[in-house]
Amino acid sequence: MQRGYWIRSKPLYDSLVWQTPAVAHLVVAGGEGGIAVLKLFQQMYPKEPIQVLYADLPTAKKNYSDILQQIVLEELDICDSEESLLANLEQRLKDCTMGTHFYVAGSEAFMWQVLQKTRAAGVQDVDVQKELCGTLARPVYCVHCKTITRDVHHNVFPCSNCGRHLFVRDHFSRRLGAYMGVMVDAEEPGNIPQIEEVYP
Amino acid sequence: MSILNVKVADVEQVTDMVKHFTLVQENGQPLPRFSGGSHVVVSMNINGRIHRNPYSLMGSPENTDSYHISVRRQENSRGGSVFMHDGVEVGSTLQITYPVNLFSLSKLGKKHILVAGGIGITPFMSQIADLNRLGDDYEMHYAFRSAEHGAFVEQLQQMCGDRLHLHIESEGQRINFHNLLSNQPLGTHIYVCGPEPMVNALLLTAKDLGWPKTHVHSEQFLAPPIGDSFRVQLVKSNMEIEVPGDMSMLEAMEEAGLEPDFLCRGGACGRCEVEVLECDGALMHNDHYLSDAEKASGNKIMPCVSRARCQKLLLNI
Repeated sequence: MQRGYWIRSKPLYDSLVWQTPAVAHLVVAGGEGGIAVLKLFQQMYPKEPIQVLYADLPTAKKNYSDILQQIVLEELDICDSEESLLANLEQRLKDCTMGTHFYVAGSEAFMWQVLQKTRAAGVQDVDVQKELCGTLARPVYCVHCKTITRDVHHNVFPCSNCGRHLFVRDHFSRRLGAYMGVMVDAEEPGNIPQIEEVYP
Repeated sequence: MSILNVKVADVEQVTDMVKHFTLVQENGQPLPRFSGGSHVVVSMNINGRIHRNPYSLMGSPENTDSYHISVRRQENSRGGSVFMHDGVEVGSTLQITYPVNLFSLSKLGKKHILVAGGIGITPFMSQIADLNRLGDDYEMHYAFRSAEHGAFVEQLQQMCGDRLHLHIESEGQRINFHNLLSNQPLGTHIYVCGPEPMVNALLLTAKDLGWPKTHVHSEQFLAPPIGDSFRVQLVKSNMEIEVPGDMSMLEAMEEAGLEPDFLCRGGACGRCEVEVLECDGALMHNDHYLSDAEKASGNKIMPCVSRARCQKLLLNI
């Protein structure tokens, strides 16, 4: 990670805030993204129908299912995995109309999986409110073997498929939902810089 | 700016008010390709003064043999449309700019709703050709005052079939924007071109129903409004010019021999933006480009349509 450096492709995240006017609201969160939903429900409620989808994720340090069930009195679906949440979301998107506002919270990898679904339904990424929660872990795309490794915490890591040591760059692909990873010792095999945890 | 020399190959009186011109290159070459929604700026020499008006290209983008524009006669304006109607005939030569598109279809759209009022139908003619070619889902809503003002209806019926919805005001048919914009599937984009009250009403309804701005597209070319004359000091060019009441600042600069940047000449694109260094009176912003906050701050002006009422105006050009 470099400091004081801006790159156009690197996404910026915000805090979730109800968007009005609207005809409906669909909130999608995974794992530690639950806290963003709680923060959202501390704001004044919009009058339009609200749906909340939440996935309990084993990788998250904390899960919010119980407290969400107390706080969210609207339509709430708790899913037991990211896959079932995404399948559920895909169904719900078919019934959504223009004027529905979308909110997503969780890890970067989770959010961009959700955004692939909303994008396929014709919603533009910029029109979805996004809040990064819990971790800076990055999904990283190996430019050599085309595999995405999720939850990367270090500046250099071994690709989960080909084992090459990849340097994590700040270049981000919205289509893939991942940062670019390039072999760090291609020119001098074995010359690997010090590995540090930069995305805790 | 690159210029195309064209010749009028055909003129058709479409309605009492609308004429359709077919333009071909003078040198017989094919014209540049364009995308649906594009326009060209036509230069007209009217009594020694150059007028430049933007007109949408309405032919199919696949046809590069000829360009097609339509002009509605505007009696109480500065004379460009009257010149096109009375002074341009088969064989006349004109200069036009290369096509520019400020009103393109969203490639991400799942469904497209096109809304035209009156002569605002023109940019949609080329967009419909694109939509038909791509096989995209769309609806064409066309509102006009009365049956005799419905230009191109037969052509539209052929192009759109049952996707065409006519709204004839004299028969009490008005588009209900609230109904039109409600319950549309995700991924719908809406496009509107027509008179200002219609465009504004649609934009407001879309906002009230929570449509994101990225899905709402509008185009309005303004004719430069007529006003009082005023003087402008052009600091970088080191000259002072008079802007007559029936000329825009942009035109006055061109008359003075300058070549300021422009694209649409209708207050839409922002290309001709100029920095205001000093103004001791009021800027009269007539464009759709600057935000309200930018207009209020008074640091920028669009010389294609905006004017000033002041004793002293310094522009950084």
